[in-house]
Amino acid sequence: MIVCVSVVGHQNNPLYIQSFTDADDALKLHHVVHCSLDVIEERVNNPKTTLNEAFLGLLYPTLNYKVYGYLTNTKVKFILVTTDLDVRDTDVRNFFRKFHAAYVDAVSNPFHVPGKKITSRTFAQTVSNIVGSYGLN
Amino acid sequence: MVREVAESCVDTMLMEMVAMYSGRFYANKPELAARRIEAIGYQVGHQLSERYTMERPRFSDHLEAIKFICKDFWSEVFKKQIDNLKTNHRGTFVLQDNKFRWLSRVSIDPSSEKETEDPSTPGESKAAQAVSMYLYFPCGIIRGVLSNLGIPCAVSADISSLPTCSFVIRVKA
Amino acid sequence: MAPVGPRSGDAIFSSIDRVNAELFTLTYGAIVRQLLTDLEDVDEVNKQLDQMGYNIGIRLIDEFLAKSGVSRCVDFKETAEMIAKVGFKMFLGVTASVSSWDADGTCCSIILEDNPLVDFVELPDTCQGLYYCNVLSGVIRGALEMVSMKTEVTWTRDALRGDDAYELQVKLLKQVAEEYPYKDDE
Repeated sequence: MIVCVSVVGHQNNPLYIQSFTDADDALKLHHVVHCSLDVIEERVNNPKTTLNEAFLGLLYPTLNYKVYGYLTNTKVKFILVTTDLDVRDTDVRNFFRKFHAAYVDAVSNPFHVPGKKITSRTFAQTVSNIVGSYGLN
Repeated sequence: MVREVAESCVDTMLMEMVAMYSGRFYANKPELAARRIEAIGYQVGHQLSERYTMERPRFSDHLEAIKFICKDFWSEVFKKQIDNLKTNHRGTFVLQDNKFRWLSRVSIDPSSEKETEDPSTPGESKAAQAVSMYLYFPCGIIRGVLSNLGIPCAVSADISSLPTCSFVIRVKA
Repeated sequence: MAPVGPRSGDAIFSSIDRVNAELFTLTYGAIVRQLLTDLEDVDEVNKQLDQMGYNIGIRLIDEFLAKSGVSRCVDFKETAEMIAKVGFKMFLGVTASVSSWDADGTCCSIILEDNPLVDFVELPDTCQGLYYCNVLSGVIRGALEMVSMKTEVTWTRDALRGDDAYELQVKLLKQVAEEYPYKDDE
Protein backbone atom coordinates (compact mmCIF):
# COMPACT_ATOMS: atom_id res chain seq x y z
CA MET A 1 0.00 0.00 0.00
CA ILE A 2 1.30 3.45 -0.86
CA VAL A 3 1.61 5.44 2.33
CA CYS A 4 3.28 8.61 1.15
CA VAL A 5 4.11 10.59 -1.97
CA SER A 6 6.26 13.69 -2.07
CA VAL A 7 7.62 16.33 -4.41
CA VAL A 8 10.87 18.06 -3.46
CA GLY A 9 12.46 20.95 -5.32
CA HIS A 10 16.05 21.23 -6.48
CA GLN A 11 17.10 23.03 -3.33
CA ASN A 12 15.53 20.24 -1.30
CA ASN A 13 12.62 22.55 -0.63
CA PRO A 14 9.40 20.62 0.01
CA LEU A 15 6.83 21.29 -2.70
CA TYR A 16 4.23 18.70 -1.85
CA ILE A 17 3.70 15.86 0.59
CA GLN A 18 0.68 13.66 1.02
CA SER A 19 0.31 10.75 3.42
CA PHE A 20 -2.25 8.02 3.07
CA THR A 21 -2.15 6.73 6.59
CA ASP A 22 -2.79 7.73 10.20
CA ALA A 23 -1.62 11.08 11.40
CA ASP A 24 0.78 9.40 13.85
CA ASP A 25 2.80 7.94 11.04
CA ALA A 26 2.87 11.18 9.09
CA LEU A 27 5.84 12.55 11.01
CA LYS A 28 7.76 9.31 10.59
CA LEU A 29 7.04 9.39 6.88
CA HIS A 30 8.28 12.96 6.56
CA HIS A 31 11.50 11.77 8.12
CA VAL A 32 11.76 8.85 5.69
CA VAL A 33 11.28 11.25 2.77
CA HIS A 34 13.92 13.56 4.16
CA CYS A 35 16.48 10.77 4.47
CA SER A 36 15.83 9.61 0.96
CA LEU A 37 17.03 12.97 -0.36
CA ASP A 38 20.57 12.15 0.73
CA VAL A 39 20.39 8.82 -1.00
CA ILE A 40 19.23 10.51 -4.20
CA GLU A 41 22.10 12.98 -3.95
CA GLU A 42 24.63 10.16 -3.57
CA ARG A 43 23.10 8.06 -6.29
CA VAL A 44 23.08 10.90 -8.82
CA ASN A 45 26.54 12.24 -8.04
CA ASN A 46 28.24 8.86 -8.05
CA PRO A 47 29.93 8.52 -11.45
CA LYS A 48 29.80 4.75 -11.19
CA THR A 49 26.07 4.45 -10.83
CA THR A 50 24.94 7.49 -12.75
CA LEU A 51 22.34 6.65 -15.31
CA ASN A 52 20.45 9.47 -16.85
CA GLU A 53 17.12 7.83 -16.38
CA ALA A 54 14.54 9.74 -14.39
CA PHE A 55 13.44 6.63 -12.51
CA LEU A 56 16.00 5.96 -9.77
CA GLY A 57 14.52 2.72 -8.55
CA LEU A 58 14.54 1.53 -4.96
CA LEU A 59 16.40 4.10 -2.89
CA TYR A 60 16.54 2.13 0.33
CA PRO A 61 14.44 -0.33 2.21
CA THR A 62 13.67 0.36 5.84
CA LEU A 63 12.16 -2.03 8.30
CA ASN A 64 8.62 -1.19 7.33
CA TYR A 65 8.84 0.65 4.04
CA LYS A 66 10.29 0.65 0.57
CA VAL A 67 11.25 4.05 -0.79
CA TYR A 68 11.40 4.77 -4.52
CA GLY A 69 12.80 7.86 -6.20
CA TYR A 70 12.55 9.76 -9.47
CA LEU A 71 14.53 12.79 -10.57
CA THR A 72 13.33 15.00 -13.42
CA ASN A 73 15.42 16.97 -15.86
CA THR A 74 14.32 20.07 -14.02
CA LYS A 75 15.93 18.75 -10.84
CA VAL A 76 12.65 17.98 -9.11
CA LYS A 77 12.44 14.82 -7.00
CA PHE A 78 9.43 12.58 -6.59
CA ILE A 79 9.46 10.13 -3.69
CA LEU A 80 7.14 7.21 -3.18
CA VAL A 81 6.92 5.30 0.09
CA THR A 82 5.13 1.97 0.18
CA THR A 83 4.54 -0.79 2.72
CA ASP A 84 4.23 -3.43 0.01
CA LEU A 85 6.80 -6.18 0.17
CA ASP A 86 6.23 -7.39 -3.33
CA VAL A 87 6.65 -4.40 -5.64
CA ARG A 88 6.61 -4.68 -9.41
CA ASP A 89 9.01 -2.45 -11.28
CA THR A 90 6.46 -1.69 -13.98
CA ASP A 91 3.87 -0.57 -11.43
CA VAL A 92 6.25 1.92 -9.84
CA ARG A 93 7.44 3.22 -13.21
CA ASN A 94 3.84 3.61 -14.32
CA PHE A 95 3.06 5.45 -11.13
CA PHE A 96 5.86 7.94 -11.60
CA ARG A 97 4.94 8.49 -15.22
CA LYS A 98 1.39 9.48 -14.32
CA PHE A 99 2.59 11.44 -11.31
CA HIS A 100 5.02 13.37 -13.50
CA ALA A 101 2.25 14.26 -15.94
CA ALA A 102 0.10 15.52 -13.07
CA TYR A 103 3.03 17.53 -11.72
CA VAL A 104 3.63 19.16 -15.11
CA ASP A 105 -0.03 20.20 -15.32
CA ALA A 106 0.11 21.61 -11.80
CA VAL A 107 3.15 23.80 -12.52
CA SER A 108 1.57 24.90 -15.81
CA ASN A 109 -0.95 26.87 -13.79
CA PRO A 110 0.00 30.51 -14.43
CA PHE A 111 -0.63 31.25 -10.75
CA HIS A 112 1.76 28.60 -9.47
CA VAL A 113 4.94 30.15 -8.13
CA PRO A 114 8.01 28.06 -9.02
CA GLY A 115 9.81 26.90 -5.91
CA LYS A 116 6.75 27.38 -3.72
CA LYS A 117 4.41 24.64 -2.52
CA ILE A 118 1.89 23.20 -4.94
CA THR A 119 -1.55 24.23 -3.76
CA SER A 120 -3.58 22.93 -6.67
CA ARG A 121 -6.71 21.07 -5.62
CA THR A 122 -6.79 19.31 -8.98
CA PHE A 123 -3.30 18.00 -8.33
CA ALA A 124 -4.25 16.62 -4.91
CA GLN A 125 -7.27 14.90 -6.43
CA THR A 126 -5.30 13.48 -9.36
CA VAL A 127 -2.62 12.17 -7.01
CA SER A 128 -5.26 10.42 -4.92
CA ASN A 129 -6.65 8.86 -8.08
CA ILE A 130 -3.23 7.69 -9.23
CA VAL A 131 -2.51 6.20 -5.80
CA GLY A 132 -5.94 4.58 -5.82
CA SER A 133 -5.37 2.91 -9.17
CA TYR A 134 -1.81 1.81 -8.37
CA GLY A 135 -1.08 -1.69 -9.50
CA LEU A 136 -4.48 -2.16 -11.06
CA ASN A 137 -3.42 -1.89 -14.70
CA MET B 1 -4.17 14.11 -29.60
CA VAL B 2 -2.39 17.26 -28.68
CA ARG B 3 -4.67 20.27 -28.55
CA GLU B 4 -4.00 22.90 -31.20
CA VAL B 5 -5.04 26.47 -31.92
CA ALA B 6 -4.64 28.66 -34.99
CA GLU B 7 -1.14 30.06 -35.23
CA SER B 8 -2.59 33.51 -35.88
CA CYS B 9 -3.93 33.49 -32.30
CA VAL B 10 -0.37 33.30 -31.00
CA ASP B 11 0.91 35.87 -33.50
CA THR B 12 -1.74 38.48 -32.74
CA MET B 13 -1.49 37.91 -29.00
CA LEU B 14 2.28 38.43 -29.07
CA MET B 15 2.00 41.56 -31.21
CA GLU B 16 -0.62 42.95 -28.86
CA MET B 17 1.44 42.08 -25.79
CA VAL B 18 4.43 43.99 -27.18
CA ALA B 19 2.23 46.94 -28.20
CA MET B 20 0.66 46.99 -24.74
CA TYR B 21 3.93 47.04 -22.83
CA SER B 22 6.13 49.11 -25.11
CA GLY B 23 3.42 51.35 -26.55
CA ARG B 24 0.90 51.86 -23.76
CA PHE B 25 2.47 51.09 -20.38
CA TYR B 26 6.11 52.03 -20.73
CA ALA B 27 6.12 54.13 -23.88
CA ASN B 28 8.97 56.30 -22.60
CA LYS B 29 10.85 53.58 -20.74
CA PRO B 30 11.81 50.91 -23.23
CA GLU B 31 14.08 49.15 -20.69
CA LEU B 32 11.14 48.56 -18.38
CA ALA B 33 8.96 47.33 -21.24
CA ALA B 34 11.77 45.00 -22.34
CA ARG B 35 12.13 43.56 -18.85
CA ARG B 36 8.40 42.81 -18.60
CA ILE B 37 8.27 41.19 -22.02
CA GLU B 38 11.33 39.11 -21.17
CA ALA B 39 9.76 38.10 -17.84
CA ILE B 40 6.64 36.90 -19.59
CA GLY B 41 8.84 34.83 -21.91
CA TYR B 42 10.76 33.50 -18.91
CA GLN B 43 7.62 32.11 -17.26
CA VAL B 44 6.54 30.48 -20.53
CA GLY B 45 9.99 28.92 -21.04
CA HIS B 46 10.05 27.66 -17.46
CA GLN B 47 6.70 25.91 -17.86
CA LEU B 48 7.35 24.59 -21.37
CA SER B 49 10.64 23.08 -20.22
CA GLU B 50 8.80 20.95 -17.65
CA ARG B 51 6.43 19.70 -20.31
CA TYR B 52 8.88 19.09 -23.14
CA THR B 53 11.54 17.36 -21.02
CA MET B 54 9.05 15.02 -19.41
CA GLU B 55 9.79 11.95 -21.48
CA ARG B 56 13.54 12.45 -21.71
CA PRO B 57 16.47 11.16 -19.71
CA ARG B 58 18.41 13.83 -17.85
CA PHE B 59 20.92 15.92 -19.74
CA SER B 60 24.49 15.11 -18.76
CA ASP B 61 25.97 18.49 -19.61
CA HIS B 62 25.20 22.00 -20.81
CA LEU B 63 25.79 21.15 -24.43
CA GLU B 64 23.14 18.44 -24.32
CA ALA B 65 20.64 20.86 -22.87
CA ILE B 66 21.43 23.46 -25.54
CA LYS B 67 21.11 20.80 -28.26
CA PHE B 68 17.71 19.91 -26.83
CA ILE B 69 16.68 23.53 -27.29
CA CYS B 70 18.03 23.54 -30.84
CA LYS B 71 16.25 20.38 -31.90
CA ASP B 72 13.30 19.11 -29.86
CA PHE B 73 12.29 22.34 -28.19
CA TRP B 74 12.59 24.50 -31.28
CA SER B 75 10.60 21.90 -33.26
CA GLU B 76 7.78 21.85 -30.73
CA VAL B 77 7.49 25.61 -30.63
CA PHE B 78 8.61 26.75 -34.09
CA LYS B 79 8.12 23.62 -36.17
CA LYS B 80 11.71 23.61 -37.32
CA GLN B 81 15.13 23.14 -35.77
CA ILE B 82 17.81 25.70 -35.21
CA ASP B 83 19.86 25.88 -38.40
CA ASN B 84 23.27 26.38 -36.90
CA LEU B 85 24.80 26.09 -33.44
CA LYS B 86 28.13 27.66 -32.60
CA THR B 87 30.01 27.69 -29.32
CA ASN B 88 33.29 29.00 -28.06
CA HIS B 89 33.41 26.13 -25.55
CA ARG B 90 33.68 28.71 -22.81
CA GLY B 91 30.01 29.15 -22.03
CA THR B 92 28.79 31.12 -25.04
CA PHE B 93 26.42 29.55 -27.54
CA VAL B 94 24.98 31.11 -30.67
CA LEU B 95 21.75 29.62 -31.99
CA GLN B 96 21.09 30.68 -35.55
CA ASP B 97 17.63 30.50 -37.10
CA ASN B 98 17.73 31.45 -40.76
CA LYS B 99 14.02 32.08 -40.94
CA PHE B 100 12.76 32.75 -37.44
CA ARG B 101 9.09 31.96 -37.62
CA TRP B 102 7.81 34.80 -35.48
CA LEU B 103 9.73 37.44 -37.41
CA SER B 104 8.37 36.26 -40.73
CA ARG B 105 4.80 35.97 -39.53
CA VAL B 106 4.26 39.09 -37.50
CA SER B 107 4.24 42.60 -38.84
CA ILE B 108 5.89 44.94 -36.43
CA ASP B 109 4.37 48.32 -37.01
CA PRO B 110 7.00 50.91 -36.09
CA SER B 111 4.49 53.72 -36.41
CA SER B 112 2.58 52.30 -33.46
CA GLU B 113 5.61 53.03 -31.29
CA LYS B 114 5.47 56.42 -29.62
CA GLU B 115 7.79 59.11 -30.90
CA THR B 116 10.61 58.79 -28.40
CA GLU B 117 14.30 59.21 -28.80
CA ASP B 118 16.12 56.27 -27.36
CA PRO B 119 19.52 57.81 -26.52
CA SER B 120 21.19 54.47 -25.98
CA THR B 121 20.73 53.48 -29.60
CA PRO B 122 21.11 56.59 -31.74
CA GLY B 123 20.48 56.01 -35.40
CA GLU B 124 18.73 52.68 -34.88
CA SER B 125 15.61 52.72 -36.95
CA LYS B 126 12.19 52.63 -35.38
CA ALA B 127 11.48 49.33 -37.09
CA ALA B 128 14.60 47.73 -35.64
CA GLN B 129 13.67 49.00 -32.20
CA ALA B 130 10.21 47.46 -32.51
CA VAL B 131 11.67 44.14 -33.64
CA SER B 132 14.19 44.14 -30.78
CA MET B 133 11.41 44.73 -28.29
CA TYR B 134 9.49 41.81 -29.73
CA LEU B 135 12.51 39.50 -29.55
CA TYR B 136 12.79 39.92 -25.78
CA PHE B 137 9.98 37.38 -25.59
CA PRO B 138 11.79 34.41 -27.23
CA CYS B 139 14.99 35.41 -25.40
CA GLY B 140 13.02 35.13 -22.16
CA ILE B 141 11.69 31.74 -23.19
CA ILE B 142 15.19 30.40 -23.79
CA ARG B 143 16.44 31.83 -20.49
CA GLY B 144 13.45 30.29 -18.71
CA VAL B 145 14.10 26.85 -20.19
CA LEU B 146 17.81 26.86 -19.31
CA SER B 147 17.23 28.27 -15.86
CA ASN B 148 14.84 25.44 -15.08
CA LEU B 149 17.43 22.94 -16.29
CA GLY B 150 19.87 24.36 -13.77
CA ILE B 151 21.78 26.56 -16.23
CA PRO B 152 21.57 30.27 -15.33
CA CYS B 153 22.39 32.46 -18.30
CA ALA B 154 21.78 35.68 -20.19
CA VAL B 155 20.14 35.55 -23.61
CA SER B 156 20.09 38.23 -26.30
CA ALA B 157 19.03 38.38 -29.93
CA ASP B 158 21.20 39.40 -32.85
CA ILE B 159 19.39 40.66 -35.93
CA SER B 160 22.36 42.18 -37.74
CA SER B 161 21.86 39.85 -40.67
CA LEU B 162 18.13 39.56 -41.25
CA PRO B 163 16.27 37.40 -42.14
CA THR B 164 18.61 35.34 -39.99
CA CYS B 165 18.01 35.76 -36.30
CA SER B 166 20.59 34.54 -33.81
CA PHE B 167 20.07 33.96 -30.10
CA VAL B 168 23.22 34.40 -28.05
CA ILE B 169 23.35 32.46 -24.80
CA ARG B 170 25.97 33.35 -22.20
CA VAL B 171 26.05 30.80 -19.42
CA LYS B 172 26.81 32.29 -16.03
CA ALA B 173 29.78 30.74 -14.29
CA MET C 1 -19.88 33.36 -61.09
CA ALA C 2 -21.72 31.22 -58.61
CA PRO C 3 -21.09 32.40 -55.04
CA VAL C 4 -18.99 30.08 -52.90
CA GLY C 5 -20.81 29.06 -49.76
CA PRO C 6 -19.29 29.66 -46.35
CA ARG C 7 -16.83 26.99 -45.24
CA SER C 8 -17.30 25.03 -42.08
CA GLY C 9 -15.20 25.80 -39.03
CA ASP C 10 -13.66 22.32 -39.12
CA ALA C 11 -12.59 22.68 -42.75
CA ILE C 12 -10.95 26.02 -42.11
CA PHE C 13 -9.21 24.84 -38.94
CA SER C 14 -7.74 21.86 -40.82
CA SER C 15 -6.41 24.08 -43.58
CA ILE C 16 -4.67 26.82 -41.60
CA ASP C 17 -1.35 26.85 -39.78
CA ARG C 18 -1.77 25.56 -36.26
CA VAL C 19 0.45 25.38 -33.19
CA ASN C 20 0.45 23.45 -29.94
CA ALA C 21 -2.17 25.04 -27.74
CA GLU C 22 0.24 24.99 -24.77
CA LEU C 23 2.28 27.82 -26.21
CA PHE C 24 -0.87 29.91 -26.52
CA THR C 25 -2.31 28.93 -23.14
CA LEU C 26 0.92 29.46 -21.22
CA THR C 27 1.71 32.76 -22.95
CA TYR C 28 -1.73 34.15 -22.15
CA GLY C 29 -1.38 32.94 -18.56
CA ALA C 30 2.01 34.61 -18.22
CA ILE C 31 0.58 37.86 -19.60
CA VAL C 32 -2.29 37.79 -17.10
CA ARG C 33 0.15 37.07 -14.28
CA GLN C 34 2.46 39.90 -15.33
CA LEU C 35 -0.47 42.31 -15.61
CA LEU C 36 -1.57 41.43 -12.09
CA THR C 37 1.96 42.07 -10.83
CA ASP C 38 2.29 45.39 -12.68
CA LEU C 39 -1.20 46.80 -12.24
CA GLU C 40 -2.08 45.22 -8.88
CA ASP C 41 -5.75 46.13 -9.35
CA VAL C 42 -7.98 43.33 -10.64
CA ASP C 43 -10.46 45.70 -12.29
CA GLU C 44 -7.63 47.40 -14.15
CA VAL C 45 -6.36 44.01 -15.33
CA ASN C 46 -9.86 43.12 -16.55
CA LYS C 47 -9.90 46.36 -18.52
CA GLN C 48 -6.50 45.74 -20.10
CA LEU C 49 -7.45 42.19 -21.06
CA ASP C 50 -10.58 43.51 -22.72
CA GLN C 51 -8.56 46.18 -24.55
CA MET C 52 -6.06 43.56 -25.65
CA GLY C 53 -8.93 41.44 -26.93
CA TYR C 54 -10.46 44.37 -28.76
CA ASN C 55 -7.19 45.11 -30.59
CA ILE C 56 -6.83 41.43 -31.47
CA GLY C 57 -10.45 41.23 -32.65
CA ILE C 58 -10.08 44.10 -35.09
CA ARG C 59 -7.15 42.24 -36.67
CA LEU C 60 -8.64 38.75 -36.69
CA ILE C 61 -11.87 39.79 -38.40
CA ASP C 62 -10.09 40.16 -41.74
CA GLU C 63 -8.73 36.66 -41.53
CA PHE C 64 -12.12 35.41 -40.46
CA LEU C 65 -13.92 37.00 -43.41
CA ALA C 66 -11.25 35.91 -45.88
CA LYS C 67 -11.02 32.28 -44.78
CA SER C 68 -14.67 31.63 -44.06
CA GLY C 69 -15.91 33.01 -47.36
CA VAL C 70 -18.74 34.62 -45.48
CA SER C 71 -20.20 37.74 -46.98
CA ARG C 72 -21.27 40.29 -44.44
CA CYS C 73 -24.03 38.95 -42.24
CA VAL C 74 -26.75 41.50 -42.04
CA ASP C 75 -28.68 39.44 -39.56
CA PHE C 76 -27.38 39.50 -35.98
CA LYS C 77 -28.71 35.99 -35.40
CA GLU C 78 -26.66 34.69 -38.28
CA THR C 79 -23.65 36.60 -36.98
CA ALA C 80 -23.87 35.02 -33.55
CA GLU C 81 -24.03 31.54 -35.09
CA MET C 82 -20.99 32.31 -37.23
CA ILE C 83 -19.00 33.42 -34.21
CA ALA C 84 -19.90 30.30 -32.30
CA LYS C 85 -19.57 27.70 -35.02
CA VAL C 86 -16.93 29.14 -37.31
CA GLY C 87 -15.07 31.82 -35.39
CA PHE C 88 -14.26 29.87 -32.25
CA LYS C 89 -13.55 26.75 -34.27
CA MET C 90 -11.14 28.25 -36.76
CA PHE C 91 -9.11 30.11 -34.14
CA LEU C 92 -9.38 28.12 -30.93
CA GLY C 93 -10.33 24.73 -32.34
CA VAL C 94 -13.47 24.51 -30.21
CA THR C 95 -17.14 25.07 -30.95
CA ALA C 96 -19.43 27.26 -28.94
CA SER C 97 -23.21 27.34 -28.91
CA VAL C 98 -25.72 30.14 -29.06
CA SER C 99 -28.84 30.37 -26.92
CA SER C 100 -31.14 32.58 -24.85
CA TRP C 101 -32.27 34.88 -27.63
CA ASP C 102 -34.45 37.75 -26.58
CA ALA C 103 -37.69 38.61 -28.41
CA ASP C 104 -36.02 41.31 -30.54
CA GLY C 105 -33.21 39.06 -31.67
CA THR C 106 -30.68 41.62 -30.45
CA CYS C 107 -29.35 39.80 -27.41
CA CYS C 108 -28.10 36.26 -26.96
CA SER C 109 -25.67 34.07 -25.05
CA ILE C 110 -22.61 32.41 -26.50
CA ILE C 111 -21.63 29.40 -24.43
CA LEU C 112 -18.22 27.76 -24.38
CA GLU C 113 -17.67 24.51 -22.55
CA ASP C 114 -14.21 23.66 -23.80
CA ASN C 115 -11.84 26.60 -23.52
CA PRO C 116 -8.11 26.35 -24.36
CA LEU C 117 -7.37 29.61 -22.55
CA VAL C 118 -8.03 28.01 -19.20
CA ASP C 119 -6.16 24.71 -19.51
CA PHE C 120 -4.19 24.16 -16.26
CA VAL C 121 -5.54 27.36 -14.72
CA GLU C 122 -6.67 27.46 -11.10
CA LEU C 123 -7.49 30.91 -9.78
CA PRO C 124 -6.08 31.70 -6.35
CA ASP C 125 -8.44 33.11 -3.72
CA THR C 126 -6.68 36.45 -3.95
CA CYS C 127 -8.01 36.94 -7.49
CA GLN C 128 -11.68 37.29 -6.76
CA GLY C 129 -13.10 39.65 -9.32
CA LEU C 130 -10.69 38.68 -12.08
CA TYR C 131 -12.29 37.78 -15.38
CA TYR C 132 -9.43 35.60 -16.54
CA CYS C 133 -10.86 35.12 -20.07
CA ASN C 134 -11.74 38.76 -20.56
CA VAL C 135 -9.68 38.86 -23.73
CA LEU C 136 -12.50 36.88 -25.38
CA SER C 137 -15.13 39.51 -24.71
CA GLY C 138 -12.85 42.13 -26.22
CA VAL C 139 -12.17 40.00 -29.30
CA ILE C 140 -15.88 39.58 -30.01
CA ARG C 141 -16.61 43.24 -29.44
CA GLY C 142 -13.70 44.36 -31.64
CA ALA C 143 -14.45 41.95 -34.46
CA LEU C 144 -18.13 42.89 -34.56
CA GLU C 145 -17.35 46.58 -34.54
CA MET C 146 -15.37 46.07 -37.75
CA VAL C 147 -18.50 44.72 -39.41
CA SER C 148 -20.50 47.69 -38.26
CA MET C 149 -22.13 46.12 -35.22
CA LYS C 150 -21.68 47.91 -31.95
CA THR C 151 -22.14 45.49 -29.09
CA GLU C 152 -21.89 45.14 -25.35
CA VAL C 153 -20.32 41.86 -24.24
CA THR C 154 -20.50 40.69 -20.64
CA TRP C 155 -19.77 37.50 -18.71
CA THR C 156 -22.72 35.69 -17.21
CA ARG C 157 -20.95 32.43 -16.35
CA ASP C 158 -17.27 31.75 -15.66
CA ALA C 159 -16.13 28.20 -14.91
CA LEU C 160 -12.98 29.48 -13.19
CA ARG C 161 -15.26 31.14 -10.68
CA GLY C 162 -17.24 28.00 -10.00
CA ASP C 163 -19.83 27.97 -12.78
CA ASP C 164 -20.18 24.99 -15.12
CA ALA C 165 -19.34 26.76 -18.38
CA TYR C 166 -18.20 30.05 -19.91
CA GLU C 167 -21.10 32.18 -21.03
CA LEU C 168 -20.92 35.56 -22.73
CA GLN C 169 -23.95 37.74 -23.23
CA VAL C 170 -23.72 39.63 -26.49
CA LYS C 171 -26.07 42.57 -26.86
CA LEU C 172 -26.39 44.41 -30.16
CA LEU C 173 -26.53 48.13 -29.45
CA LYS C 174 -26.35 49.57 -32.91
CA GLN C 175 -26.00 48.24 -36.39
CA VAL C 176 -24.89 50.65 -39.10
CA ALA C 177 -26.70 49.83 -42.32
CA GLU C 178 -24.67 48.97 -45.39
CA GLU C 179 -24.14 52.13 -47.41
CA TYR C 180 -24.59 51.99 -51.14
CA PRO C 181 -21.54 53.27 -52.96
CA TYR C 182 -23.60 55.34 -55.36
CA LYS C 183 -26.23 57.74 -54.19
CA ASP C 184 -29.03 58.93 -56.42
CA ASP C 185 -29.04 62.56 -57.45
CA GLU C 186 -25.61 63.15 -56.11
